[in-house]
Amino acid sequence: MTKHDEARRTFLKGAAASAGAVAGAAFLPEARAQGNPEQKMHGPIAHAEQGSISGGAGQHAFFNDNDAMTIAALTERIMPDAPGKPGARAAGVPNYIDLALAGAYKDQQDFYRRGLAQLDAHCHATYKRSFAALTAAQQDEVVAALATGKADGFAWPTAQAFFSTVRTHTMEGMFADPVYGGNRDFAGWQLAGFPGAQMQYTEADLKSSKAFTRLPITGLEAQAKSQRRI
Amino acid sequence: MATEKADVVIVGVGAAGGILAAELGKAGMKVIGLERGPRLQTVDFEPQDELRFFERMDLRPDPKRQPVTWRPNAKARAHPLGQLNYGNQAGGGTVHYGALSWRMHEDDFRVRSHTIERYGAAAIPQDSSLADWPVSYADLEPFYDQAEYEIGVSGKAGNLQGRKIAGGNVLEAPRRRDYPMPALMVDQSGMLFAAASQKLGHHPFSSPHAIASIPYKGRPGCTYCGFCQSFGCHVAAKGSILVTKLPEADATGNFKLITGAMCSRVLSDNSGKATGVAYWGPDGSDNTIEADIVILSTFIYDNTRLLLLSKTEKFPTGLANSSGEVGKGLMAHIMGNVFAGFDDRHINSYMAPSAQKHSIDDFNADNFDHKDLKFIRGAQISMGTANLQGGPIGFSTINPPPGMKNWGAEYRDFVATYFTRHGAMVAQTENLPYPDQTIDLDPNVRDAWGLPAPRLTYDWRRPAEQARIEFMLAKMEEIGHAMGATKVWRGFLSPGIPGAHHEGGTRMGSDPKTSVVNRYGQSWDVPNLFVIGSSTFPTMGAGFNPTLTIQALAFMSADAIVSRYRKSPGPLI
Repeated sequence: MTKHDEARRTFLKGAAASAGAVAGAAFLPEARAQGNPEQKMHGPIAHAEQGSISGGAGQHAFFNDNDAMTIAALTERIMPDAPGKPGARAAGVPNYIDLALAGAYKDQQDFYRRGLAQLDAHCHATYKRSFAALTAAQQDEVVAALATGKADGFAWPTAQAFFSTVRTHTMEGMFADPVYGGNRDFAGWQLAGFPGAQMQYTEADLKSSKAFTRLPITGLEAQAKSQRRI
Repeated sequence: MATEKADVVIVGVGAAGGILAAELGKAGMKVIGLERGPRLQTVDFEPQDELRFFERMDLRPDPKRQPVTWRPNAKARAHPLGQLNYGNQAGGGTVHYGALSWRMHEDDFRVRSHTIERYGAAAIPQDSSLADWPVSYADLEPFYDQAEYEIGVSGKAGNLQGRKIAGGNVLEAPRRRDYPMPALMVDQSGMLFAAASQKLGHHPFSSPHAIASIPYKGRPGCTYCGFCQSFGCHVAAKGSILVTKLPEADATGNFKLITGAMCSRVLSDNSGKATGVAYWGPDGSDNTIEADIVILSTFIYDNTRLLLLSKTEKFPTGLANSSGEVGKGLMAHIMGNVFAGFDDRHINSYMAPSAQKHSIDDFNADNFDHKDLKFIRGAQISMGTANLQGGPIGFSTINPPPGMKNWGAEYRDFVATYFTRHGAMVAQTENLPYPDQTIDLDPNVRDAWGLPAPRLTYDWRRPAEQARIEFMLAKMEEIGHAMGATKVWRGFLSPGIPGAHHEGGTRMGSDPKTSVVNRYGQSWDVPNLFVIGSSTFPTMGAGFNPTLTIQALAFMSADAIVSRYRKSPGPLI
């Protein structure tokens, strides 16, 4: 418990201190509302160069540039973008994982380092390119090989263990509250149709066979605000 | 080094320990409770945060600090389990539990005799240590009633003194009076499940939960927010020990709770009496509590481990272990899942208390004829949410239908379509006791305090156990199709690893040669030592969550200690 709390505190402190305005964007509704149409049009590489999180490459609380690009590409294949359906990159999943590895999941840093190095070696051996430089179809071949344990060159972590962990963290980044750095603008919750934390559901809500749209999506930030008002 | 004295020391203040603290304190006994974790408050549960409480299991033990290891058999090497499902704070598992509150059936307490009477001795697997309980349903009924009213259970009676009532569980054992509160409201998934199972001839009902459906004893009614199993309740509608019995214990003026206290040993003397316990404080200090009565009410791992760690010259195989039964008979519910996806409607199953919302008891215990089946006993089947919790991270942990990868565009569209259009059924399946399913001390792995980790040796995949769960999966598939689901598919079964509700390790019985404690949880060997909790269950009883039975046993033991033991300390039987 204590350790969890410490980890959580460390993580939150780290997020606030190292990320500055960048993490702040996830905390402040104003920033979210204003948005930046220009940024949204850039790909991850451009954003890594700019040091912006909007492309989802992360603010490098943990990942180096290359690893940030690989993770952005890999998580995007796990939850790919489609019109009206934001994928991992748009939802900020790479940013979530980057912050988590600098904090709560610090003990998995080496797992990621080695997993990414093995992935890079595998892709170079098979395609003579890094994962991020492959076509989407080739990337899907690699992910399938990871998921089924057929990818060559993996010792520890095994290909399946690496895939399984990145997949789990991708889902966390899609669906955890935005304060953790992913699920940007509630992209993941909108995809799934989850309204977040609602104070109460009525009997009519429970019995309804329609989508719930009566109230806006509520995350931790809004919960904290409503408590402050009281 | 501090030494304190008390009439009673209770190690672990959860489902059982919290009740004992309040009841013994009310009787004027000076009680000290030791709790390894913190004492949280309702305000600590306000952030409704799926990542923190479900995914990262913030209310559970840290498996790195408090490892529990598992191996499938005695030849394999044990490895630490990645996650631990019991509680880690004052209130124990009742803080995060789904609050299912079941009474077991009459036959469950005499399962061995009953099975032999109905099917013959050959129906019991030869390697199973299936046993009758040393307590009957009639003995326990007043204490079930007390637990339901004091903790606050919402439900609808199905068997009122023998009179069957439609809409309640008509297969339940007779109860003296109805539940103190009406059943929780039914949601879309419960309505569909009820209609389908009725069509199939079953008897569905709203599952009894220790969640206030209306204001009760100063606590508000449930808001149906859905952040329930895995979470502390942010309005205290869930009847956790934290908001029910601990305030009562405080009010007696006779109870002191020490948090951050790691009990390392039960102390005993050469006369064979327990004299107290040793524990480490949060600062690492060595401390002792001297007490006339020692009660162990931790989770089953530590109840067992403390007895094994407390061996002396007089008790060379561990305290209270002259039978050699300490650590034997580990059981766990085998969780079978069937998921149902709907194209014609939303289900929105993230709403409302998330665990086992609506149930049938038709295939539980011996409520159905096993004559032509390859197994005895059964499962409690319910409709609820993926992984007993309703958020999208929880949904991402279940396997998609066969043929679909759990990543990529197809999976993304599956989440987008079926997160709000799915229901998850679970068959919480009874696991028979086997003496070679054990808890002992791991020779290789130690916890953060340097004590050997509890080691589980367990694999449920025996033929009779597999036949039982296969039967249940097929029943749930039938219900899924009868609900009109477009997609009906099975969840993966655990690879041998213990499932939910670990029980056993200090089994109760009528014979000191084959059991560790008597019906009151009193050690046969050390009469001023009590072990209370699901570690004393000689069988799982049924496919029911164990908490209400743990609580009823705690009330019964408290009553026996106050009314009889205190006047005349010694064996209660």
